[in-house]
Amino acid sequence: MFAITTTGRIISFAWKNFTRNAWIGLATLLVLILSILSVNILLGVNAVSDAAMKALEDKIDISVYFKPETPVLVLDTARSYMASLPQSQEVDMRLPEAVLEDFKTRHKDDEKVLAALAELDQNPFGATMTVKAHNTGDYPFLVEALQNPQFAFAIETKTYDDNSVAISRVQHIAESVRLFGIILIAIFALFSILIVYNSIRIAVYTQREELGIMRLVGASNLFVKAPLVLSGAVQALLAMFLSAGAVVLMVAFLDPKLKIFFDGSDPGLQSYFMDNFVLLAGVQAGAILCLVIFSSWAATGRYLKK
Amino acid sequence: MIVLKNISKVYPPDVHGLRDVSLHIKPGEFVSIVGTSGAGKTTLAKLLIAEERPTKGTIVIGGWDITKIKRREIPYLRRQIGVIFQDFKLLQKKTVWENIAFALEVAGEPRRRIREVVPHVLKIVGLDQKAHRFPRQLSGGEQQRVVIARALVHRPKVLLADEPTGNLDTMNTNEIIDVLKKINAFGSTIVLVTHNREVVNGLKQRVITLSDGRVISDQAQGKYILP
Ligand SMILES: Nc1ncnc2c1ncn2[C@@H]1O[C@H](COP(=O)(O)OP(=O)(O)O)[C@@H](O)[C@H]1O
Ligand SMILES: [Mg+2]
Repeated sequence: MFAITTTGRIISFAWKNFTRNAWIGLATLLVLILSILSVNILLGVNAVSDAAMKALEDKIDISVYFKPETPVLVLDTARSYMASLPQSQEVDMRLPEAVLEDFKTRHKDDEKVLAALAELDQNPFGATMTVKAHNTGDYPFLVEALQNPQFAFAIETKTYDDNSVAISRVQHIAESVRLFGIILIAIFALFSILIVYNSIRIAVYTQREELGIMRLVGASNLFVKAPLVLSGAVQALLAMFLSAGAVVLMVAFLDPKLKIFFDGSDPGLQSYFMDNFVLLAGVQAGAILCLVIFSSWAATGRYLKK
Repeated sequence: MIVLKNISKVYPPDVHGLRDVSLHIKPGEFVSIVGTSGAGKTTLAKLLIAEERPTKGTIVIGGWDITKIKRREIPYLRRQIGVIFQDFKLLQKKTVWENIAFALEVAGEPRRRIREVVPHVLKIVGLDQKAHRFPRQLSGGEQQRVVIARALVHRPKVLLADEPTGNLDTMNTNEIIDVLKKINAFGSTIVLVTHNREVVNGLKQRVITLSDGRVISDQAQGKYILP
């Protein structure tokens, strides 16, 4: 009976705290939402830049152009040798006939080119091989591997050299973006913690008189603290729900727009939030709840020392 | 009822609030504690409700040694000693009724009991007609009577009043003293801290005089002896 009365009263005091100090409550709620949003926006930016880097890395490969009359046996040796290397992810060999077909379809509207081609009595193209590495760092090794005397003599040109500077630059940018993103998120999380802690302290400070009277008339510490902690926890949950809604809306709005920049491939925004939903929601809800409960507990404690 | 044995209180680093004070207050007494400003009266009051702890000595209230009281036991002590301070400490946003009910609510009393006790204590202080006013709609004396009513809700054996009339004029002061006399007549022990000469002399009760943290006089039917 006592427990029910007390629990009921704690809830009703918590509700009164919230409504009486509506402006402060709303301000705290807003701070919570902005903190959660800023961290999530940074997470989203990080996810997209990650996807952008992956897309760029994906575009990197080595193209090897063989001389037109290279025997099929040599081509086969080259293909199977390169494919056998653990650093290579994918080796694609297009024989001269296929290259010619490709060329024809690509220029099917260009009469002059087709006419010029028809005048030749043999296929001017050699075979083309593209090699993709698992990691961008492996390309120098793969280029080295192409020196293999079993087929090196048949290679006319290869295009990796032109890209090598771009590749290392992309690699460099990708790494800095990731590092910078993590640092930025950490800083924002830290600021959010400080801001939330202080806005709760202000909310408690405005009620110090009431807290003092509660103590003077013999309220137990728990009874003084519980309503504040409870209203803080409810605010935290409310903030979580509202920010989650805002994040979902923003992602749904932005993902299709970003897709255009990504040439139609996945910009990684929606998929990042979908794949990590449980983890993100769990960690953030846990962190914000702990933060709010700790803040209100500690802030109230200052007025209950004696 | 209240026993102080060799109580000293030193505020860090070296301000002496009380020096070696020993007292014995019996149940049902009406004791006035007088002294100039800084004599240690408020320090004594704070020690009795465990808002401060003694540096030396022991304090026993109703057989309970509160010298080393635990923090979570303090609320139970506060329910046995009603306290009244000079600054009223009413919640301005609550009505008279709500202010008094608040003290019972925070102690977990059931609603039924709150509906019994609040009118009862309001009647004792003569404010049963003004239960639904807000503090700002009352005179200073009336506000102080609300504080007294609130201090009575747990039927305290001791009522401790630290300069309850400090901000009041003569008429309001007399109102308050009359209420305290009435409560004393019901059997509660009253400890009244004051430096109002007329009040002390009019009571013709025990007077304990403090000076510089020491008891310099303790008379059964005392007078205000300070200049
Ligand atoms: N919290 C405190 N910290 C330091 N010194 C204090 C504190 N409270 C009171 N004192 C000092 O203790 C002495 C007694 O103060 P107090 O008990 O308030 O006197 P009174 O109530 O008789 O005017 C004074 O010298 C005062 O300055
Ligand atoms: Mg004083």
